[in-house]
Amino acid sequence: MKAAPFDYAAPTEVDEALALLDEFAEDAKVLAGGQSLVPLLALRMSRFDQLVDVNRIEALRGIELVGETLVIGAMTRQATIERDEEVRRHAPLLAEATRYIGHFQIRNRGTIGGSIAHADPTAEYPAIALTLGAEVEVASVRGRRRIDAGELLESAYTTTLEPEELLLSVRVPVWGARSGFAVHEIARRTGDFALVGGAAAVTLDEADAVARAHVVLFGVADRAIRLSSLEAAIAGQPVDQLDLAELAREATAELRPPSDVQATGAYRRRVAAPLTERLLRTAFVRARRAGDPTEEAAR
Amino acid sequence: MSTVEKPSAARFVGARVQRREDPRLLSGHGQYIDDVRLPGMLHATFVRSPLARARIVAIDLEHALAVPGVVAIWDGSALNGDAATPLWDWAGEGTPFPEVRALAEGDVRFAGDPVAIVIARDRYVAEDAAELVDVEYEPLQAVVGRELAEASTGRAHDGIDTNVAWSAASPTDPALEAAFAASAHVITETFRQQRHVNVPMEPRGLVAHWERGAEQLTVYASSQNPHQDREYFARVMGLPEHHVRVIMRDVGGGFGQKIFRTREETAVALASRRLGRPVKWIEDRQENLMAANHARDEQMTLRVGVDADGVITAIHASHLADVGAYPLMPAMMPGFMALEVLPGPYRFARYGWAGKSVFTNTSGISAYRGPWMMETVAREIMMDVVAREIGVDPAEIRRRNVIQTEDLPYTTPTGREYDRISPAQTLEAALEEIGYERFREEQARARAEGRYLGLGISTYIEPTAGAQGPTGIEAATVRVEPSGKVNVLMGTGSHGHSLETTMVQVVADQLGVPIEDVRLLQGDTAVSPYGGGTAGSRSAVIAGGVARISAIKLREKVLELAGHLLEAAAADLEIEDGTITVKGSPGSSIAFADVARIAYYDPSRLPEGMEPGLESTSRYSAPPATYANSTQVCTCEVDVATGEVRLLDYVVGEDCGVMINPMVVEGQIAGGVAQGIGGALLEHLAYDETGNPLAITFKDYLLPTTEDVPDIRYVHVETPSNTPGGHKGVGEGGAIGAPAAIVNAVADALAPLGVRVTSQPLSPDRVLAMIDDARSA
Ligand SMILES: Cc1cc2nc3c(=O)[nH]c(=O)nc-3n(C[C@H](O)[C@H](O)[C@H](O)COP(=O)(O)OP(=O)(O)OC[C@H]3O[C@@H](n4cnc5c(N)ncnc54)[C@H](O)[C@@H]3O)c2cc1C
Repeated sequence: MKAAPFDYAAPTEVDEALALLDEFAEDAKVLAGGQSLVPLLALRMSRFDQLVDVNRIEALRGIELVGETLVIGAMTRQATIERDEEVRRHAPLLAEATRYIGHFQIRNRGTIGGSIAHADPTAEYPAIALTLGAEVEVASVRGRRRIDAGELLESAYTTTLEPEELLLSVRVPVWGARSGFAVHEIARRTGDFALVGGAAAVTLDEADAVARAHVVLFGVADRAIRLSSLEAAIAGQPVDQLDLAELAREATAELRPPSDVQATGAYRRRVAAPLTERLLRTAFVRARRAGDPTEEAAR
Repeated sequence: MSTVEKPSAARFVGARVQRREDPRLLSGHGQYIDDVRLPGMLHATFVRSPLARARIVAIDLEHALAVPGVVAIWDGSALNGDAATPLWDWAGEGTPFPEVRALAEGDVRFAGDPVAIVIARDRYVAEDAAELVDVEYEPLQAVVGRELAEASTGRAHDGIDTNVAWSAASPTDPALEAAFAASAHVITETFRQQRHVNVPMEPRGLVAHWERGAEQLTVYASSQNPHQDREYFARVMGLPEHHVRVIMRDVGGGFGQKIFRTREETAVALASRRLGRPVKWIEDRQENLMAANHARDEQMTLRVGVDADGVITAIHASHLADVGAYPLMPAMMPGFMALEVLPGPYRFARYGWAGKSVFTNTSGISAYRGPWMMETVAREIMMDVVAREIGVDPAEIRRRNVIQTEDLPYTTPTGREYDRISPAQTLEAALEEIGYERFREEQARARAEGRYLGLGISTYIEPTAGAQGPTGIEAATVRVEPSGKVNVLMGTGSHGHSLETTMVQVVADQLGVPIEDVRLLQGDTAVSPYGGGTAGSRSAVIAGGVARISAIKLREKVLELAGHLLEAAAADLEIEDGTITVKGSPGSSIAFADVARIAYYDPSRLPEGMEPGLESTSRYSAPPATYANSTQVCTCEVDVATGEVRLLDYVVGEDCGVMINPMVVEGQIAGGVAQGIGGALLEHLAYDETGNPLAITFKDYLLPTTEDVPDIRYVHVETPSNTPGGHKGVGEGGAIGAPAAIVNAVADALAPLGVRVTSQPLSPDRVLAMIDDARSA
């Protein structure tokens, strides 16, 4: 369990990092918190000639509200996000989901950029990015671009990032009034990657009908997926008239989740339904509360 | 056998003395194998078979040898011949055993089988080279699966034309059959226990140093048993025993995996002798999960007859064990031990048994904390099955069967003799502490709300300090140095069971000196007297017993000398806190340290005929076994929508005799319970049908964390044993009792759904599947 040989560079500027990535392309790898990459290297499941450690690049760290978007630097630690006031206020789902990531030791090192770039199909952050409709900003020596989370996540451990590209930041839109969120997962132990997890973000109109809903499951496919048919089915519907159990069952019936030593695919499909139901129920309750001025004041 | 009288009131024995090893261990100053750095030391790694069963067609070392920094690479044909004997051999009449060599030769027999050893400047280079060793394999049919092995057309081993490693049964007994025939109910069920790994925090490892000139092998071992290691290396290396020294410093856990030295460790020692240089091997976690010995992987079918009240009339038990390819104990052991201990805490007369062990192409089985505990798993889950079947409360059925004080002495159907035990008391104590009746009310309320709570009980007798052959005796040298400070030399070791505290408590009490003035020196065959190491919960009983005997002997000498100096009779003296005083005349006293100085430096002041110095060595030969008893009770909630199990409350009632240190006792129980929780809910070293291991990192082999282990409450009953200190062992009980308690709690929670739980681990998907099966049945 010792890594194969590699060269190591620790630039302090984004441009330096981009130049290295450009020079070594597929043979280079970005090292962020190392919580996924280092075990892969140690197990010799991955090998790269050149590691580009971006921990010393100050510009990649930080959380800032820009207009209606929360911009989070790629190298911001999960632990920072978990405790950040701006995140709690403007993207409470992100803060809540962070507690499900590993253990505090891991969150002290692990980063949001690393977590999303790694694209583990059972990881929380890629799923939350999808739920909230986040984008990532990426750069290479040729320039910058933004990629929607839905387009970024391609399959298990694979994104549409080019090897020369560095993820700079995650741009999380702020959901407006009367929005509610939920995240939950089933795992073998506290801190494990989810067997099945999910998140929901909803906005209600004044009549308590669904104005907007994103419902995402992870651990059920090769990447986090949105339950688009469910979202469509509830759009515009009054919350009180929804048969959530039935809707959740229908929305999950066609899933074909993977089996592994921790759980069968059939199990994952089976519990996806009650999980989805629970997510929506919680999100609706919270959305109503978020619209209630006395609740706002109480918070 | 209290031949030696207790001379003084205990100040330390029985107290929650802080662990004296903790400042060292908790501040990162423990000395483990990887902390050993010798000049010129090289590093080893192994090329391992990726296949469970294959012929080795060719091995090409050329590219690997070309890696800069590589010193040597040897395969089995190159190295095995250096060993003077097979590494171990438990073949007997009707019990075949494979020839055990350091490295695979000709064929491989499990995924992880070491095929070649690579020695290099550092571990990184060694692994770079190991990747380049090109082994050509011709796959053969692998024998995989406990229940498939016997009928398999494949053979686990070349040269052994059966996969059955051991098979035996009790003679047919008409009285047994008559008892079943006369029973009001006869219930049969099979219980299964999956393959576990011991998972010591520190994996295997050693530094072997062949010292040319001295012609001596020094081994820094991560072991439970330095003296038997010395014998082992002497035998396999063809060396006289006094040319081998084994040093065992801090050990990061063993739990049975480190009782004996293994093939890889032997290869490293052979390599060191060839090279004349120290060689270090640190097993990594992947190797440990794949190729260090595994445990459990067994099943037991019980047929139980009871009368109309649920009183047991007869039991037949049959056991099947998968011992893997190269078990680290005789193939009969898992079955024989389990079948022998099975009668446990219950009174019944008629018992029959059958046992079988099979070889498979998987990593070999070794002892693991309570290696016979399948008996408690099967018996205690069965007690609940029977109780439910005949409509008796699970606590009540145990009350009706458990051995009572008035039954003692009691001999089990397998001939075990119980005397000073209290299983009825620990059962009641645990039930009371958990609040049995109150829980039943809470459970009924929860059920009415659609919530599923359950309670599980597990009662057992723990045979401890089994004394046979090398494990039967223990020695202690207690030496007061000229300054009055005390060194205690013992053949024990440090791997988390607190002997540096408990042995010191025992000695400090007898000598009447402050606890800081006593230190235990252990784990070095060049320093300490021969001892049996750590296994079978023997240290408190046998080592604690002899520490006491030896200290008492020395105390007598100290008092004789002090009496001579104070012109008083030894019997009129007392020692307290390092001062010896004539009882009733506080003015007449002498410091313990002054007595020590005089003993060494001033022979003219000694009484006529007294040998100078203050040192005593004793050996104690223990009775065949010393029995502890315990009941564990836990409660849980099961989420029937997701299959998740949450433990709510946990109580252990335990009688381990006189406790040297209740905190240490509780620590031993807690660690064992945590391992039992792992086995019941999480841990599974699964193989696929080709013999490929599926859980070789901690991402897949799931250990309980602090979040999975509830706070455990303890109730202590102290019935002194018939040994010098009155102690009983407590090392394994936690692990023995926990799985059945948890399985029973889950089964109790799900009883309204008709679920019967007979196997582990209770992962959420398996819990849901059991609920589905019960619903569709
Ligand atoms: C015991 C344990 C438990 C864990 N449990 C969970 C869990 O429950 N949920 C969960 O989501 N995660 C879990 N993780 C993973 C953890 O969250 C990782 O931190 C995360 O997946 C990767 O983030 P990192 O910063 O450590 O990235 P690294 O490991 O350094 O990198 C991961 C990958 O992302 C790439 N990368 C990193 N940063 C960038 C960037 N700025 N631009 C381009 N590519 C980049 C790297 O090149 C690499 O391919 C666990 C890890 C451990 C060790």
